[in-house]
Amino acid sequence: MNKIFILTSAVLAFIAGTTNAIAAPAVDEIINRANLAAYYGGDDGRAEVVMTITDSQNRARVREFIILRLDQKDGGEQKFYVYFTKPTDFKRTVFMVHKHMDRDDDRWMYLPKLALVKRIAGSDKRTSFVGAHFFYEDVSGRSVDEDTHELIEETADRYVVKNTPKNPADVEFSSYTVWIDKKNFMPMKAEYLDKEGRRSRVVEALEVKDIQGFPTVTKSRVQDLVSGGETISEFKNIKYNIGLQDNIFTERYLKKPPKEVRN
Amino acid sequence: MKGSALTQLSIKNPKLVTTILVLLTLALAALIIMVKVDTDPENMLSATEPVRLFHHQVKKEFTLHDMVVLGVVNEKHPNGVFNPATLNHVHELTEFVKTLHDPNHPEMRVVTENLISPGTVDTIEQAGLGQVSFDWLMKTPPTTEQEALKIRDNAMGNPLLKGTLISEDEKAIGIYIPISSKDFAAQVRKRLLKKIESFSDQNGDQFYITGLPVAEDTFGQEMFIQMAISAPLAMLAIFLLMLLFFKQLKLIIAPMIIAMMSVFCTMGLLIGTGNTLHIMSSMIPIFLMPIAVVDSIHILSEFFDSYPAIKDRRKTIEHVMGQLFTPMLYTSLTSAAGFASLALTPIPPVQAFGIFVAIGIMLAWLFTILFVPAYVMLMSEKSLEGFGVSAVNKDNQPSSALSRFLKWMGGFTYKRSKLIMVFTLLTLLVAGYGINKIVINDNPIKWFTPSHPIRVADRVLNHHFAGTYEAYLVLTGAEPDLDQDGVAALLNKEITGPEITPTIAQEAMTLLSAAKAESKSADELLTKVAIKWEEQMDAAPDETYNSWVNIVDLVDKIRNRDQIFKQPIVLNYLASLQKYLLDGGIVGKSNSVTDVVKKVHQELFAGESEYYRVPDSIGAVSECLISFQNSHKPDDLFHFVTPDYTKANIWLQLRNGDNQGMEAVVKSVEKFMADNPPPVALNHQWAGLTYLNIVWQDKMVSGMREAFLGSFVIVFVMMVILFRSVLWGMLAMVPLSVTIAIIYGIIGLIGKEYDMPVAVLSSLTLGLAVDFAIHFLERSRMTFKKTGSWKAASKEMFEEPARAITKNVIVIAVGFTPLLAAPLVPYKTVGVFLASIMAISGIGTMIILPAMITIMQKWLFKKNRLNIGKE
Repeated sequence: MNKIFILTSAVLAFIAGTTNAIAAPAVDEIINRANLAAYYGGDDGRAEVVMTITDSQNRARVREFIILRLDQKDGGEQKFYVYFTKPTDFKRTVFMVHKHMDRDDDRWMYLPKLALVKRIAGSDKRTSFVGAHFFYEDVSGRSVDEDTHELIEETADRYVVKNTPKNPADVEFSSYTVWIDKKNFMPMKAEYLDKEGRRSRVVEALEVKDIQGFPTVTKSRVQDLVSGGETISEFKNIKYNIGLQDNIFTERYLKKPPKEVRN
Repeated sequence: MKGSALTQLSIKNPKLVTTILVLLTLALAALIIMVKVDTDPENMLSATEPVRLFHHQVKKEFTLHDMVVLGVVNEKHPNGVFNPATLNHVHELTEFVKTLHDPNHPEMRVVTENLISPGTVDTIEQAGLGQVSFDWLMKTPPTTEQEALKIRDNAMGNPLLKGTLISEDEKAIGIYIPISSKDFAAQVRKRLLKKIESFSDQNGDQFYITGLPVAEDTFGQEMFIQMAISAPLAMLAIFLLMLLFFKQLKLIIAPMIIAMMSVFCTMGLLIGTGNTLHIMSSMIPIFLMPIAVVDSIHILSEFFDSYPAIKDRRKTIEHVMGQLFTPMLYTSLTSAAGFASLALTPIPPVQAFGIFVAIGIMLAWLFTILFVPAYVMLMSEKSLEGFGVSAVNKDNQPSSALSRFLKWMGGFTYKRSKLIMVFTLLTLLVAGYGINKIVINDNPIKWFTPSHPIRVADRVLNHHFAGTYEAYLVLTGAEPDLDQDGVAALLNKEITGPEITPTIAQEAMTLLSAAKAESKSADELLTKVAIKWEEQMDAAPDETYNSWVNIVDLVDKIRNRDQIFKQPIVLNYLASLQKYLLDGGIVGKSNSVTDVVKKVHQELFAGESEYYRVPDSIGAVSECLISFQNSHKPDDLFHFVTPDYTKANIWLQLRNGDNQGMEAVVKSVEKFMADNPPPVALNHQWAGLTYLNIVWQDKMVSGMREAFLGSFVIVFVMMVILFRSVLWGMLAMVPLSVTIAIIYGIIGLIGKEYDMPVAVLSSLTLGLAVDFAIHFLERSRMTFKKTGSWKAASKEMFEEPARAITKNVIVIAVGFTPLLAAPLVPYKTVGVFLASIMAISGIGTMIILPAMITIMQKWLFKKNRLNIGKE
């Protein structure tokens, strides 16, 4: 299967479906295929990411990192290794995730100057990813099973799916709607409504390119409509199926980064 | 003369004059509906005032908002607020608060994303097995005691929350509600109170709402209610007293109409000219009314006494107006000058207040000389029958207590003039002592009476929490720029650190020299040397990898020098400053970026208390900060520091909002920074509502002093012109000087603080006290001319003229007592002091002036000084 991993288009997700032009596929299928399109491109992948965080006062901060991903199984377990290169005082910081289907993800953070490997309890994934408007869940993907899905509209080129959390107390939104590209099932936009029903957050794929045959989001954006800030992620030097080894995604490699991130 | 021309106009065309005046009043009064209310004391400073601009810049830069503080207190439950029922209330209120906005004014809303409540703040905490978690303090309300206690432990373990969100005695939780506009505060309070009322089971919970914006906004609203109650009540009291003195209902309606016309026209002009109705200008009616009725009372009193002898309303009014025209013109001009001088203060609302009271006084004068004669002419001679006669009988009867007393007083002032002077001087000495003890202080919360719910909430919450008043100390710093040689020298020095093996250090230095040779600027050098070193690091075998990593980090260290507020030494400096302020006692708590770093550092190291400190390197500090940003609310960091780390905000919580307290804190910071020079040059500036209050207070105090001195001089010059004599001019200034000395002496002695309403009183005193002096002196001179001896004149002075003054004193002093019932302190203050001013200046005029005249009669009544400015 294919498609690239798209770091941030994350939240976008979830559909399934056939490409049958006449009848829409079942909503679960649309969602599953969107999940695969957004998070499971190739068997593994590497990308260099520039994340620009802009607050409501137009003050910008930049985070640069290299991200490695290895799929254990399509639509199933995955491992991520995020190696920071900028800002300079944040260099060599590593963030690692083992994504599980049946339990909370394992998450680690390596802080080199403090010489500290820290595990982060995985219960709440809707916290900020290093100060950006993206959440951890946007990076590693929200499980398809956590929401109920409803196909509310079908346009010429989009499936529009409304997702309602099964456990509303766990999340800050009341529902979100995803626009999914009918051709390649890439989630192109997700809009979140807060508990009061106001539009609070928008995640969008701004640019999708074909890389090694996988449609890949190369630029994405999150807007926080409440605070007025936004974060833009740009993906460069994207490569799929580079043959990443499983042992890279272990604690040992937190302190001594693998050659795959050491340029 | 002009006076008689105007009087004649009214006497000849009473209906026309009345109609015009009524129409004018109606037209101007109609403008009042355009009223725009401004209850924001911040507007005491002009919109372009630097400190105010800075305050707004700081609020924007650090995303700070004015806060309504909602306190939930439970003293009954053994675990205080940490029980499921109370926390459910807290949860319900939090969710309710999030929905608050004004549908008609989209700019008025609760700034949900900055709400501080157990459900909306994150904590970093230990999650077992060496894990940390970033979680909401209270994601869902607890269902069991145990869950409630867990929330307590997490909150109490977080120094950022303890004392702010949770009281240290565990009996109170504070919900800090940021609002987009201060005008929204009273509405938020009202809607919260309604919501709280709907709780079926109170569970022993008590709810309190306070905060400066609430006090200020609520004060504004209550002020208008008060205006609508106090002003008519005062009118009623004045009316009843006049009825008592003059008996003639028809006649005393005239001053009431004049007071109302003056107030309506002045307020109409104020609003019609685009001025907002501010706390200050809302007091205009209260200030204007006594002054507006004073002239009519003089006329009536004189009319009352003269009518029985003349028995013709036209002739009587001509006689009275002839007698009083000049003194009335001068009293009005001097009072107006006193208030107009407030235009010299640097405070826009005080300027508007002064100018419009001055306009109102002149309007009242114009209305008096036009309307009173017209009104008298419109009454039939018949209806005046018996008018005054009874009074003549009454007042001249030996049984009239007032008349007898005044007569006795006249004799006393003549015989005991020296004793009176000695006593006056002693009084002045005591007053001088009192004035020296005056404390300048203000606090918007104290504008409410002690039993007002907002004042109670302020007391209760500041008892439980570290303080509900906020001030922001903003520090800005920069490192000196380095040139190429400076950078190279610094790098060379750092390379020889202990974590770098000597051979690698040597290699690095060689590469540094090479890079330096290729570069033309410090920046270029850093870029080039970074590339060279990074190449080595990436190619390094495992054994030397770490040495190269440390070397590469040096580049960042130099580059990040400007990120002042990541430097451990600077962060520790903030901590010592904070500690110093805390020890001072007024600051209950302060939060800064240092506290964030310490807390995160501690939690990263398993929550061990020995790690509650700032780590040793900039890099380690950065890692604490980035860890913090993995929370739900990463931007909370930027309430304390700007994203470029060149500016920091120390957020102070003060237990008391008195300007005195804030001033003491400002001084402590100056002292600390002078005694302990910061490790890098730091510039400091203040913001926050509590601080703004002391800035405008300073301006007000100095502004009022200048305005008062200015108007004192102006009034003196006017007196000299009026009496064509410096000596008489000086005499005219005596009662008001004594009154002001005594009033402010009393304020100092009883410990009443010098605040906004007290400051404005000096102008009122000037206006009212000089009034009596002018009337008294003018009449004394006329009477002297008639009788040729002061002894005889003084006797006559204590007949009708003294009665007029006494009646004035009593009417106004008693008339304003309804203000004492007001729940707002400034109104009470004005009520009490109006009565005192009237009493003291009345006594001053009628006792000190004749005593002084008696002593100085040789000089005062020299022939050439007697060409009085009257016929």
